[in-house]
Amino acid sequence: MNGVLFAKIKLFIRTPWTFVIMTAMTILFTLILGTSNPATFQVPVYSLDNSLEDSLIYKALQDNKFIQFQWRSMESTKQKVKKGKAELGVELSANDFKILVGVNSPKVSIVEHTLQEIYMDKLKQEKMLKGIKDKKTRIELKEQLEDIAAHAVFHIQTMEFKGEEDFIYNNLFQRVFGFTLFFVIYTIAYNVFHILIEKRDGIWDRIILSPIKRWEMYTGNLVYSFVAGYLQIIIVFLIFHFIVGIEFNASLWKLLLVMIPYVFAIVALTILITALVKTVQQFNAIIPMLSVSMAMVGGAFWPIELVQSKPLLMIADLIPITYGMELLNGIAIYNYSLEQLFSPLSILLLMGVGMTGIAIHFMERRYI
Amino acid sequence: MLELARLTKRYKQLYAVKGLNMFIEKGEIVGLLGPNGAGKSTAISMLSSLIEPTEGDVRFHGKSILKSPGELRKVTGIVPQEIALYPELSAEENLQFFGRIYQLKGKQLKQRIEEVLELIGLQEKRKEVVKKFSGGMKRRLNIGVALLHQPSLLIMDEPTVGIDPQSRSYILETVKRLNEEKGMTVLYTSHYMEEVEFLCDRIYIMDKGNLIAAGTKEEIKQILTSETTVLIKVEQLNEKFVQRLQAEPSIHQVSTGENEVTVIVPKEIPVFKLILNIAEHTDIELLSIEMKATTLEDVFLHLTGRALRD
Repeated sequence: MNGVLFAKIKLFIRTPWTFVIMTAMTILFTLILGTSNPATFQVPVYSLDNSLEDSLIYKALQDNKFIQFQWRSMESTKQKVKKGKAELGVELSANDFKILVGVNSPKVSIVEHTLQEIYMDKLKQEKMLKGIKDKKTRIELKEQLEDIAAHAVFHIQTMEFKGEEDFIYNNLFQRVFGFTLFFVIYTIAYNVFHILIEKRDGIWDRIILSPIKRWEMYTGNLVYSFVAGYLQIIIVFLIFHFIVGIEFNASLWKLLLVMIPYVFAIVALTILITALVKTVQQFNAIIPMLSVSMAMVGGAFWPIELVQSKPLLMIADLIPITYGMELLNGIAIYNYSLEQLFSPLSILLLMGVGMTGIAIHFMERRYI
Repeated sequence: MLELARLTKRYKQLYAVKGLNMFIEKGEIVGLLGPNGAGKSTAISMLSSLIEPTEGDVRFHGKSILKSPGELRKVTGIVPQEIALYPELSAEENLQFFGRIYQLKGKQLKQRIEEVLELIGLQEKRKEVVKKFSGGMKRRLNIGVALLHQPSLLIMDEPTVGIDPQSRSYILETVKRLNEEKGMTVLYTSHYMEEVEFLCDRIYIMDKGNLIAAGTKEEIKQILTSETTVLIKVEQLNEKFVQRLQAEPSIHQVSTGENEVTVIVPKEIPVFKLILNIAEHTDIELLSIEMKATTLEDVFLHLTGRALRD
C-alpha cells in the first residue's frame, strides 16, 4: 500500500492543479454568491381589490425584509414578467394570490412560502375576530393584536427565512456547504481518474501482476483519493472560519468530522464510475453531468426544502450530497443531536461500503 | 518450466485464442510470432496469470496458476506492449514505485535501481520525467521496470514497437545478454520476423487465434523444403502482372511490396521461364529475379497466404 501511496503523492505534488483549482473555485463561488444578500430581490405586485392597500397583507408585505414587494399596476407587472425584467409577479386577492412565473427559479418557492405565511396569519386573525360578536370589542381586539404585532414583548430577530416546516435558510451557509460538497466531487473524481489512466496505459495490469495484495492496491487508491478530497474540505472550512470569520455555530470540528462519511461515499461513487466506464472520454462526460445533477437535486445549489417534486425528492434520497447537506445544516443551523445525525451518517457509510464493493467486483471481474 | 494446455479465450462467439498448446523450458528464448490480431497479447495475458482462460490450463513447474498465481508472479517480469509508466514521474521515481510494489526496500531497492539504470543505459536521464523521453528511452525504461526484481522469466509483448533502429538493436542485445549471462528465460512476442530469428531458440507462430507452426528456426524453415521463394523486382509494378501470377496454378503464394513481388513455387517448376513468360504478356519490365534463402517470413506467407505485417 505504501508503494501505491508513494506514487500517488508524487503525482499529486507534480500535478496539483485540479486540487488547487477546485479549492479556489469553492472559495470564489462562495464569496461571490454567499456574501451577497440573496433575499433582497424585487417582486412586482398588483391587486384588483383596492381595499387590500389598507390590509394586514399589505403591511406584512411592506415589512418583509427579504423580498421587496413593489406595488405596480396589473399591466406593468405583466409586462415586466413578459419581457423578462422580473422573474415573477404576484396578483393579490383578499383571500388568495396568484404567482405569474416568467422564469422557473427557486425564488418562486420562496415567494410562495412567504405569501402563504402572510395569508395564514391573516386567516388566523380573521377567525379570532369572527368569534367576537360585539363590534366594539372586536375593534379593540384588532387594535390590540396590531399593537402586539408592532410592540411585541419578545422580538425574535432572525437572519433567515423560516418556513412552515421549520426550514431555515442561511445563504452564506448554503453557499459554503453547497459549493464545498459540489467541487470536492471533481477533486475526488479527478484523483480516482488516475485508475482509469493506469488501466489504459497498462500500469494497472502491471500492478496486478506484482506480488502486491489486492486489498493494498485498492486501499492505497481509496486512501489517497479520500485524503485529497478531505484535505480540500478542511482547507475551505478553515479559510471560511479563520479568514472570512464564519462561526459555523461554533461547531467547526463537528462539521469536519461528519464530512468523513460524505468524502468516503463520493470516493466510492467515483470508483464505481471508474469501474463501469470503458474509456477516459466516457468518464470525462459522466462526471460533470453527474456532479451537476446531484448538486441540483441534492440541495447544493439551493435548499432541498424548495424542491416540491416527489420523484426528484425520491432521487435526492439516493444522492450523497443530500445527506452531506443535511449533516452540515443539521450541525450549523439546527443544532442536531447525535441521534439526529446518526441516520444520514449511516446512510452515507452504507452507500460508501456498498458502492466500493460493487466497484471492486466489476474491476476484478476481468482478472484471475 | 511453463506449460500451456489447450488454452482458449473466447469473447462471446469470437475466439481470441483457440486451443493453444505450448511450453517454455528454463533458460531458453522462445518467440511467439504472428501478425497484429493473431492473439499473441491475449495468450500472454493468460499465461502471465492476468486474465482467466475460457478453457485450458497454464502450469508453472507442474502446478496450475489459475488458482494460485502467486509463485509465477514472484519470478516473472512483464514488459507490456504499452508504455506502462507514469509519464509525470522521473525514470528513478518510476523504478522506485515498481520496486516497492515488488517488495524491494531500502538499500536493496537503491542498488537494483542503479543496476537497472545501467543495464538500460539511462543513468544520465534518471531525474528526467518520462514524458520528456524519446520513444526508445521509454521502451528501455519499460523493460527496466520488469527487470527490477530479478525475474527468472521475462515475458515481453512486442517491446520494440514504434522505436528507432538504434534503440531496437540496443533492446535486442540487452535481451540476448540477459539470457546468456543470467540464464533468464524469455518469451518474446513480435511481428518482426528478424527480431525473432535473431533472438529465439524456438518459435511458435500464431494466426487468427490458432497455433499454425512450432519448432526451432530450422524445423520451421523445413516446412518450405519442397518449395522455393522467389523475389521479383520490376521497374513499375502493375495489377495485371500480379493477377497473372496469382492465377498461375503452379505458384502457391504471391505477396507484393513496392515494385517487388515475392512468390513461392515448387522446386521442380522452371520458375525463370514461367516469370519471363508472364512478364512478357503483361508488359512488365523485369529488373531481377532472385532465388531467396527461406526465411520465417516466407514460412508465414506459405502457411497463411499473408505477409506478417499485412
